[in-house]
Amino acid sequence: MRNDLRAHRDREGLSQADLAAAVGVSRQTINSIERERYDPSLELAFKLAARFECRIEDLFHPDFGDA
Amino acid sequence: MTPTETPAANRLSEARTYRRLLLGVVIGGVALNVVLRYFDYSVLAELTYIGAFVLAFVVWLGTDVRLFDERDVAIEQRASQLALTASALVLVLGASGARLVTALDLYTVPTVVWGALYGYVAVFLTFAGAYLWVRTRR
Repeated sequence: MRNDLRAHRDREGLSQADLAAAVGVSRQTINSIERERYDPSLELAFKLAARFECRIEDLFHPDFGDA
Repeated sequence: MTPTETPAANRLSEARTYRRLLLGVVIGGVALNVVLRYFDYSVLAELTYIGAFVLAFVVWLGTDVRLFDERDVAIEQRASQLALTASALVLVLGASGARLVTALDLYTVPTVVWGALYGYVAVFLTFAGAYLWVRTRR
């Protein structure tokens, strides 16, 4: 799943560690999400969207392929 | 960092400390077990070994801090899945091969190999039990 987490984080001048602390996960988890190596749970996606005061769809973009 | 983020940052730092403590206790216990066995303190060695795991368990359950986040859990699940797949491959090919060479009188499979294969069978029986138990709860 593609995401704009890094762009949102940069816009607010937050470090990965700051964001991780705000949503209660490790910095490595934020890093993995930004690198699109890990798709967060719905709960974490909601937390991230709430932190940036946006909708989940503004942060995450599912890749459904050609189907 | 805003005041509302400070407790969260503290929790993460605390979780890191507890995780290190957990790992340290287990590694320390295993190392001490090896050393004590080397010097023939068998009972003390096993008490230390069990004690280390009990202590790790106490650390794990004793804190209200969440020690592992969802990515840690996902990694563990993926690693378990890979380990099971590798074990299945070893069991299917190993058991079949062992039965075949025995039936054809090509080689006498050592008892220790049969023991290991039955060990794999026990792992998969445990998996089947765990699978059914989890399935009834979902």
